[in-house]
Amino acid sequence: MKMEKIVRQTFNTLLPVLCAFFVGGIIIVCIGENPLTVYGLMLKNTLFEWKGLIKTLHFASPLILTGLAIGITFKANIFNMGVEGQMLGGAFTACVLGFTLQGLPPVVHIGICLLAGVVCGMLLAVIPALLKAYLHVNEMVVTLMLNYAIIEILRVLSQTIYRDPASGYVSTPPVLSSAMMNRLDGTSLTAFFPVTMVVFILMYLVFNKSRLGYEIKSIGRNPEFAEASGMNVAKKIVVMMLISGALSGLAGSGFMLSEKFKYTLDFSGTPGLGWDGMLISLLGGHSPIGILVAAIFYSALKTGSDTIGIFTNVPKEIVGVIQGLLILFLSIRFIDEHTTLFSRLKAKFPSRGKKEATSA
Amino acid sequence: MNVIETVGITKKFGEFTANDSIDLAVKKGEIKAIVGENGAGKTTLMNMLYGLLTPTSGKILIQGQEVHFSSPLDAIKAGLGMVHQHFKLVPSLTVCENIVLGIEMNREVKGVRLPFLNGKKQLQQVQQAIDRFGFALNAADRVEDLSVGLRQRVEIMKMLYRDVDILILDEPTAVLTPQEAEELIQNLKELKKQGKTIIVITHKLGEVMSLSDSVTVIKRGKVVGNVDTKDTSERELAQMMVGRDVVLRVSKEQHEISCESVYEMKDVTTTDLSGKEILSDISLCLHKGEILGIAGVEGNGQSELLKVLTGLMTVTKGQILLECGDITNWWPADIRGAGVGMIHEDRYAQGLCRTMNLKENAIAGYHCRGDVCTPSGLLRDRAICCKRDDMIRDYDIRVADPEGAVSQLSGGNAQKLIIAREFASNPKVVIASQPTRGVDVGSIEFIHNKILDLAKTGVGIILISSELSEVMSLSDRIAVMYKGRIIGQVDAAGATKEEIGLLMAGITGKEASSA
Repeated sequence: MKMEKIVRQTFNTLLPVLCAFFVGGIIIVCIGENPLTVYGLMLKNTLFEWKGLIKTLHFASPLILTGLAIGITFKANIFNMGVEGQMLGGAFTACVLGFTLQGLPPVVHIGICLLAGVVCGMLLAVIPALLKAYLHVNEMVVTLMLNYAIIEILRVLSQTIYRDPASGYVSTPPVLSSAMMNRLDGTSLTAFFPVTMVVFILMYLVFNKSRLGYEIKSIGRNPEFAEASGMNVAKKIVVMMLISGALSGLAGSGFMLSEKFKYTLDFSGTPGLGWDGMLISLLGGHSPIGILVAAIFYSALKTGSDTIGIFTNVPKEIVGVIQGLLILFLSIRFIDEHTTLFSRLKAKFPSRGKKEATSA
Repeated sequence: MNVIETVGITKKFGEFTANDSIDLAVKKGEIKAIVGENGAGKTTLMNMLYGLLTPTSGKILIQGQEVHFSSPLDAIKAGLGMVHQHFKLVPSLTVCENIVLGIEMNREVKGVRLPFLNGKKQLQQVQQAIDRFGFALNAADRVEDLSVGLRQRVEIMKMLYRDVDILILDEPTAVLTPQEAEELIQNLKELKKQGKTIIVITHKLGEVMSLSDSVTVIKRGKVVGNVDTKDTSERELAQMMVGRDVVLRVSKEQHEISCESVYEMKDVTTTDLSGKEILSDISLCLHKGEILGIAGVEGNGQSELLKVLTGLMTVTKGQILLECGDITNWWPADIRGAGVGMIHEDRYAQGLCRTMNLKENAIAGYHCRGDVCTPSGLLRDRAICCKRDDMIRDYDIRVADPEGAVSQLSGGNAQKLIIAREFASNPKVVIASQPTRGVDVGSIEFIHNKILDLAKTGVGIILISSELSEVMSLSDRIAVMYKGRIIGQVDAAGATKEEIGLLMAGITGKEASSA
């Protein structure tokens, strides 16, 4: 029984990846390179070589956190689509504190900045959580729209009050050196990675061993049962969203202090760390271990793009293509397994949903 | 002349036979009542007549012709319309728009149909039709502004406007106040005068007597009686409905019931979302070691009573007292924590989670207790496994894979898991609803014995069941619910089935001895 489940799960996770690589391979063949060499080179440099692996892990840190942030809510059938915004909010807060607070010892300064990022993420997540829990406002819509509100607010702030006059493009001043997480011992890793791993272990316990994890699972599987078993569903929704927001905020502030050091308009890249987190969580089946593996793999893809550009004739944008394909193939499985999301969308847009259903 | 007739119609859902070769004959221009408890198969039968379900075997004849409906559209074409218990109306549209939905009238110029609606003429026609049938409706009103009773008239008009001759009404008075129900009965009688044939599904015997010409009683998917209303009485119908064969009777030893009260309801009242009172002034007292049976035809407030007692519905007036004090409107977790075990009526909706494993289900509701959860909020995996294994052993739960999901369990074993969970938590009081519904005979006996054993240890048990035989064989005292009230209480030892059957039908002519 259990074996069968594991096999099925692995198969479900690997299939979209293989499909994406296969279609990506066809494109590489068209360019005139051997896809196996290209993929081999990419994976060797990012996963099977010490320096590359370290770099991969460094870039995986925020992805693990955003992946967990998505995973915890999706598991309860609550859809926090606002991880991107909460992450950016956390990053910006950490950045502002990073260059305004002066004369603090590094440990204290970094601690304050990270904490502020976490609090900011939680504050942004608690708005849709309260609306959902007590007024039954659909959380998908609120969190999704809130992203744009946050992005625009941050754009205005970084163009006006916090604009660095010395910079030639829109950017805040860099954080002070006391707020920077330094590279550990000549590698590209910073203290952010160990912090992430501690949080990961905590979340693993929460997901698999704790009362809260049990309640989250019950709410996701059968809300009526959860309520009859005495779980205060509204309260749990708020708690979950707070955790999700905290993880997102930590992802943003950590990435800020360990890699970017200043807020620019392309801070989180495309499609954005929060959206990457969604992909990662889906790829990892919303389980912590799965999310960890998926985040490292995804990070390898991202960092591997440079290698491809340098060593082969294939443009590094091929990785973007593979990412896109991955999203496409994953979404097919997503609709298959998590029919609740699909039926909810259908209920929301009755006529459109019908068309989608027939075409899917 | 039978306008509609079924010959040996049978419907099976998998192993379960919902309708077992039913012969039904309805004469033209009569009002036929089909009575029976919930789950007896009334609605299944009507859904087959209306084309929503296809019979497994048997024939349907309309005006003597055999018909095969594949959808309600076919049924409507053949002159058969059905009004469901739950209305299918668009609240933001007007009465007229709702009625013509699907058969709207287009504007015509010299016989050519234009793609525009002819609103004015349509409104006129609908209003005429409404007036012809004597309904107090204004075609231009919005449905959202109408009362429940009037909305139902709109549903009926929808069918009449499509020129149906046979009208099926599924529990038409379930959502109505007594006054509205009375008006509806007048309207239906008026329709009969105009030549329509009406079939009414109900379990309210008073209405059957005042409305119908003939009655068919269905019990467990079979017709158990066909009578003309004038030749029968509520009493006789009640007996036919509830007088089922005793499946089995556990041997019940007399044991001491202390006079100490452990659980008490004082004037418990609650209303549903629309503000209709569904429980009125329920006052009951449960003693230590006593089994208090709550009998009644389903739909008389038992489900709501359970929800109120288990914290899923709020009490608007009155109090619920446990030994330790007032527990009115507590959260389910707190009620459990205070020592109340709960067995919900739908085991896969509230009792268990199918897709989670046995272990996780075995602690549901008790997952905050110290024996399975550390103060820091981590679950003690080993203790939980032990607990599950104890339950499997003590309650004889037959399971292929103890690590697997609950969905692998049969109905009886799933129910035993719930009972094990609730009984093992050392409750002071257990509230059990339909503990043996859909459970095989062997498990029924096992569960009944467990309930009796628990009572012997001094636990008070409230047993809500629609199986009269179950209530009678287990209880020490029986309270009967009728229309959201406790209509009477009898001592189980001296009670007869007829006496309780009368109470279930709402007849209190005979003095009921209160315990």
